[in-house]
Amino acid sequence: MAVAIAVRVRFFARLREQSGTEIEALQVPPGATLEDVYDVLRRKHPALEAERKAVRGAINQELSDWSAVVADGDEVAFIPPVSGGH
Amino acid sequence: MRYDVTTGPIDAHELEAVVTHPGAGAICTFSGIVRDNSRGQSVTHLDYEAYAEMAVPQMRKIGDEIKQRWPAARVAMAHRTGKLEIGEVSVVVSVSCPHRHEAFEACRWGIDRLKESVPIWKKEHAADGTYWIEGDEAKPATG
Repeated sequence: MAVAIAVRVRFFARLREQSGTEIEALQVPPGATLEDVYDVLRRKHPALEAERKAVRGAINQELSDWSAVVADGDEVAFIPPVSGGH
Repeated sequence: MRYDVTTGPIDAHELEAVVTHPGAGAICTFSGIVRDNSRGQSVTHLDYEAYAEMAVPQMRKIGDEIKQRWPAARVAMAHRTGKLEIGEVSVVVSVSCPHRHEAFEACRWGIDRLKESVPIWKKEHAADGTYWIEGDEAKPATG
């Protein structure tokens, strides 16, 4: 069994500014969820949004629940709510 | 059908040309324009940022949903990214249908869904600072 899996993380808009990066490679333990990935990233980038409700996670371009498990080679993105507008 | 995220200017007539056909008696086109004010402040310009690899499939999904609700509809959508000046077109949704009532309805439904579900973000450069607009909230930009 693999000791770690590799994912590609992308940040957009306000989260990109907070993290100071658009894209980064990350290794996480097998079975890690989106929430686990975000927790690792928050330790690396303390300015990242703390309020979980203000963030959505996507795996391979599909919005996913925080409990979704990531797989080796996945593209994981953290995005703010979209613009909305009236 | 056509779904674009583009850094260049959007020509609404090009999208209308995509949806027009001999059986379509109505084309309804929504154009979103950069306004010079927001939240009571003057706005100098906007920056739009997209997760393009997710935004285009999401736009296609909305187009498919329009086709399910209004089977005769044809749909084209484009959203611009990058720096936009006041008066420039940020987004266009064009829908053709046999008759005007469903064209209006389908177009409105399409732009509303786009605004709530397509991963594109707006940064406002205003008199009181620079803000990311997230739903009803304006959050200070840091970059």
